[in-house]
Amino acid sequence: MTTPKPTGPPDGGWGWVVAAAGFAVNGLSYGVLRSLGLAFPDFAEYFDRNAQETAWVSALALAVQQAASPVGSALSTRWGARPVVMVGGILTSLGFVFSAFAHSLLHLYLGLGVLAGSGWALVFAPALGTVSRYFSRRRVLAVGLALTGNGASSLLLAPALQLLLDNFGWRGSLLLLGAVTLHLTPCGALLRPLALPGDPLALPRSPLAALGLGLFRHRAFLVLTLGTALVGVGYFIPYVHLAPHALDRGLGGYGAVLVVAAAAVGDIGARLLCGWLADQGWVPLPRLLTVFGALTGLGLLAVGLVPVVGNEDSWGGPLLAAAGVYGLSAGSYAPLIFCVLPELVGIGNVVQATGLVMMLLSLGGLLGPPLSGFLRDETGDFTASFLTCGSFVLSGSFVYLGLPKALPSCRPASRPGTPPPEMGELLPVPQIALLSPGDPHSTLDTTC
Amino acid sequence: MRALQGLRGPRAPSLPLLLLCFLAAVRRSLEDGLSTAAPFTSLPVQEEMMTEYSNLSLESHNLSVTAAPITSLPVKEEMMTKAAPITSLPVQEEMRTKAVPIISLPVQEEMTTKYSNLSLESHSISMTVERPNMPVEKNITLERPSNVELTCQFTPSGNLNSVNVTWKKGDKLLEDNYLVNTTGSILYTQYRVAIINSKQMGSYSCFFGEKKQQRGTFNLKVPEINGKNKPLITYVGDTVVLICKCQDCLPLNWTWYSGNGSVQVPIGIPVNDKYVISGKHANETKLKITQLSEDDQGTYWCHAIFELGESEGHVELVVLSYLVPLKAFCAIAAEVVLLVAIILLFEMYTQKKKKPSDDGKEIEQGEQLKLDDSNGIENSGPRHRKNESVGQ
Repeated sequence: MTTPKPTGPPDGGWGWVVAAAGFAVNGLSYGVLRSLGLAFPDFAEYFDRNAQETAWVSALALAVQQAASPVGSALSTRWGARPVVMVGGILTSLGFVFSAFAHSLLHLYLGLGVLAGSGWALVFAPALGTVSRYFSRRRVLAVGLALTGNGASSLLLAPALQLLLDNFGWRGSLLLLGAVTLHLTPCGALLRPLALPGDPLALPRSPLAALGLGLFRHRAFLVLTLGTALVGVGYFIPYVHLAPHALDRGLGGYGAVLVVAAAAVGDIGARLLCGWLADQGWVPLPRLLTVFGALTGLGLLAVGLVPVVGNEDSWGGPLLAAAGVYGLSAGSYAPLIFCVLPELVGIGNVVQATGLVMMLLSLGGLLGPPLSGFLRDETGDFTASFLTCGSFVLSGSFVYLGLPKALPSCRPASRPGTPPPEMGELLPVPQIALLSPGDPHSTLDTTC
Repeated sequence: MRALQGLRGPRAPSLPLLLLCFLAAVRRSLEDGLSTAAPFTSLPVQEEMMTEYSNLSLESHNLSVTAAPITSLPVKEEMMTKAAPITSLPVQEEMRTKAVPIISLPVQEEMTTKYSNLSLESHSISMTVERPNMPVEKNITLERPSNVELTCQFTPSGNLNSVNVTWKKGDKLLEDNYLVNTTGSILYTQYRVAIINSKQMGSYSCFFGEKKQQRGTFNLKVPEINGKNKPLITYVGDTVVLICKCQDCLPLNWTWYSGNGSVQVPIGIPVNDKYVISGKHANETKLKITQLSEDDQGTYWCHAIFELGESEGHVELVVLSYLVPLKAFCAIAAEVVLLVAIILLFEMYTQKKKKPSDDGKEIEQGEQLKLDDSNGIENSGPRHRKNESVGQ
């Protein structure tokens, strides 16, 4: 019996189902994590702790999820994405169920932070990597589509969670969230394994090899990771500090909500738009990555430099515009950081590369918000914080200029880091964005 | 702010003149003596009150309502401000003997003297004719016994002298303890009272009877207690802490009651492990209930006891059984298992559809080979080439 030769990515068909599964995975991981903050006042009241200690729950979950991402990718390289994601879903659900019976804040740290965070770590990179594998010409669009999951999920989950809290208290809400996150398992079931031309023929011999550390030998990947680490420091600060900054600048409660909404809407819209745009292939992906990374940095600088609003009821025009610019560029950056990976490391290594990039972003994510908070406490407002994070993002974007094809003068022949078997995916015109396992908010890593 | 704020300006420059007036008045009053004090039949009582309550805080509240022309009002105010320090007692006595045209002056001075070590709260309301029927109200929060100064300021459209000024507490007419004065075209009236028990709390109103009666009201209340507006949801066997707090108050005591309908049953009277009342700061109280059961459901009232009355807040407690969310959880988990099963079965089904077609292809290839072989055998000449072609 002749074994079927692996053909290229289907670029459609079941791929859209996988993209939808990626959308749901993103929503059930980052979306749930973002909305979890609604329950914090209840936690703080019940356990008699202050807001900062309660906020550690989600900070820990995010840190575990991102730092353990390479583990998820390594496991899926060994056994395929499907079983890993399914197990990850069960693990996350268990974490929520365990925390529903918590009798101290420590139990919440363990249940939500460690258990659910580990489950999410097993889920995100493999799922997004699989979406990447199913597409080549429409990769950025598919990935962008998958990455809008967390925004859509927060929109739905936030009021739903508030309803749950009002009717079931925080214990019942956590229990039911456990049931909701259990849907990660069916999403995993949808991730049918796909054999692609660029897949490594032999399974990795050792766990370390499975982690994909060998990828760092590629110069382009090194450049990408360095740039991503820098961008990661500044990228997450608006998630934490945009609303307080708006309030500091004199806007009322609803004005601040509008600013955050502007950033969020810009973010979601840009992911799709940039996805479609990038897939047209008019501009090499690394270049797009650099451009949008720089724009994100500039947007952050603008947000920081916005003057104080005199009237509390005003629309906060300048801040709104700056937040919109930030949202649009950050949203464009997100799918690109993932989609530039196949070019750099080959489609066979995409999942591992995704895990590594996520881990690097987590380092920045751990450093950024506390730094921003510290600067705020020292200087009295968020100007210094946003200026700092903007400059980090800008410096990361400058590093991206070292990627192949980021600069127009780069010769098309020089494509370091892309193994020949990936040729099927590296079509000359459309820049195949390597999926960055990084977060959906992945910073733009565009280098020449 | 002890003195009438609005009247500070005009008062200051006229001070020397006022003192002269006083000196003149003193001589006259010595002759009149008690006659000037006659309208205040309760004067001795007031003095008594004031001595007793000299350890109270003084609160002045002003409702700025333009008052009748009593030219010596500025003088009064001066005296009141002077009366504030405790050390000026001899001066007070002296001033008291001077029969000032403002008949309530001695009373005022007495009060100020006796309550001068209490805190003074001044509150003021301003009323104009342009908004005739709008009730002007001010809410005053009092925690501990104080001296209270309520000032109404009124600007009448017509003649100042024709305005009739009265004070009422609730519906009861107050006869003394108030001053009426004018400055320019503004009529001022000030009511002073020492609030020492809960009976004295309530609504104090000043009335200006012109064409339509203008009314300004001061509502004296104890501080409000905040419980919780949304019900607290807990589960059987869990522990809960109910919190009541007030903004900047220091109640003497807190008590908790559980309410079943309109009946309030005190909690913690037989001291047991189930209920623990505590509170880190004086302005909050915490009731910790352990081993919750569905019977503990309902409304809990926290009472803060002040010297001047009681205030209460409430917290609603809901106790659910774990089965409530558990049922929903099991339903959703079952749905998830179903989804996974459907997805995997669907995949197996589509795989099976592919497999028979693959086998069919293989059979065809095998037959093709056989045919080629047979062709090759029959035709030994071009066999080589055919074999080659077959091999390809």
